[in-house]
Amino acid sequence: MLKIEGLSVSYGAVEALKDVSLDAPPGRVTAVIGANGAGKSTLMRTLAGLEKPKSGRIVFNDQDITGGKPEDIVRQGIALVPEGRSTIPDLTVEENLKLGGMWRTHAQRGTSLTRVYGLFPVLGERRHLGADTLSGGERQQLAIGRALMTGPQTLLLDEPSLGLAPLIVTQILELVSQMARDSGLAVLLVEQNAATALRVAKTGIVLNLGEIVRAGRPMRSHKTRSCDMHTSATDPLEAQRGIAP
Amino acid sequence: MIDFIDYLLGGVSSGAIIALMALALVLVWRSTRVVNFAQLGQAMFTTYVALTVRDLTGSWVLGLLVAMVAGLVVGVIVHFLVIRPVKRLDTSGAIIATFGVLIALEALAAMVWGGDPEAFPPPIDNAGFELFGRIWPFSPYDLLVLFSVVILVLALSVVFTRTNVGLAMRASAFNPEVARLSGVRVNRMLVLGWAIAGLVGAVAGVLVAPLSTLSPTSFDIFLVFAFTAAVIGGLDSLVGAVAFGIGTGLVIALVSGYSDSSNAPLVALALLILNLLFKPEGVFSHHKARAV
Repeated sequence: MLKIEGLSVSYGAVEALKDVSLDAPPGRVTAVIGANGAGKSTLMRTLAGLEKPKSGRIVFNDQDITGGKPEDIVRQGIALVPEGRSTIPDLTVEENLKLGGMWRTHAQRGTSLTRVYGLFPVLGERRHLGADTLSGGERQQLAIGRALMTGPQTLLLDEPSLGLAPLIVTQILELVSQMARDSGLAVLLVEQNAATALRVAKTGIVLNLGEIVRAGRPMRSHKTRSCDMHTSATDPLEAQRGIAP
Repeated sequence: MIDFIDYLLGGVSSGAIIALMALALVLVWRSTRVVNFAQLGQAMFTTYVALTVRDLTGSWVLGLLVAMVAGLVVGVIVHFLVIRPVKRLDTSGAIIATFGVLIALEALAAMVWGGDPEAFPPPIDNAGFELFGRIWPFSPYDLLVLFSVVILVLALSVVFTRTNVGLAMRASAFNPEVARLSGVRVNRMLVLGWAIAGLVGAVAGVLVAPLSTLSPTSFDIFLVFAFTAAVIGGLDSLVGAVAFGIGTGLVIALVSGYSDSSNAPLVALALLILNLLFKPEGVFSHHKARAV
């Protein structure tokens, strides 16, 4: 399990994350909500090894992985789907997928590939086409598929809803939460849109200017889905607006 | 008309060799975004190694094989000794540093083997085939050159498109961050790019030496041609490097045939300027535009 303890990250003099602590338990979706510039992507990139933390620890399966290289961290079982549907348009769909988890055995990769094509049938249909021919939603599926090819225990999803139609966002998030339930995958989901994230997340944090301003479980009323991050019950959008500058 | 055919035939094998040289430049550019101006200096050095081995053992094939291994090794050494430390500070500094490597290699070769041009005899007959009662400017050696280049290009394309290492190298070139997040050790792929470029350059050097002579600076002119071909091809396209390498060879042959061979570098530069004016991203490039 992924545990983040007092993580701080700076870009020069700018503190992007201040003393952030968070657990991502297996089998469920944990949300990281916040406005633009709140430090959500910095958190994800640091967990994946793309940024080096100034202080704090990242512990995965009781092992300190703070400051590790991305190619080592993904081998440990933490896979990041970065913001902006990071597929490689010059490669085919299948090549994008095969890029994930090259260190694994042939059999493991074959199983993962079958599973990804089962989850995202459209990728199977277009496996030999260039990734540049896919739509936005399909490319997001491909990006998630590539991450799944590495056989992760923890999946980091950085704003998968960005620029996608609501219906596609729903499909993708349902699939992700189903994977978490069925296979014990831990998912850390970053979202600007609190309502979207809390549809599938059991717990989460709200970041503002690099700091956790709220943490805990969202409460769901029978009337509307609303969240309460240890404060009075508010509409999820209100919660977001409340922390936005 | 018969002149035209003669000139073209005479340009085929040098075009194929320029294609290899352009390929070496592209392999390095793709892996580290550095134009390696020392590429043909490395090739000159390994060709001297090949000549030495050939003189000692009498075997051209052994000379070629040793040169290929030397090419790999020199590529890796240049990468670790010069490019990696300098590039950490500044990319354009690394490009300038490759000029330094070129000068150092030329000086070193002059110290070891002397500065005078040496003959590198071809392993098989370099006199043109006789057919239909005339001698054509295409020899058994030209055929060997073509054969070797085709084999090498095919082998490279199999490695790049059909193997995991090839996929990892391509992904590292297109998007190093996504490659790393997928678990690819991108730094190793960069080293491999320099190594393979060194090998390809070494083959080009051994093949081109019998067509002229070998001296520490005799490959300098090929840098102009190979660079032109690589840039017009898009600098990151392997297909572009091969296509425009052969094309450049043919254009040079025609220019040399109809006017004078001393005009060939000028024509190459003119082509380069036209390309940068009208299609700066190159013909086969993966990128929409390139800042010039």
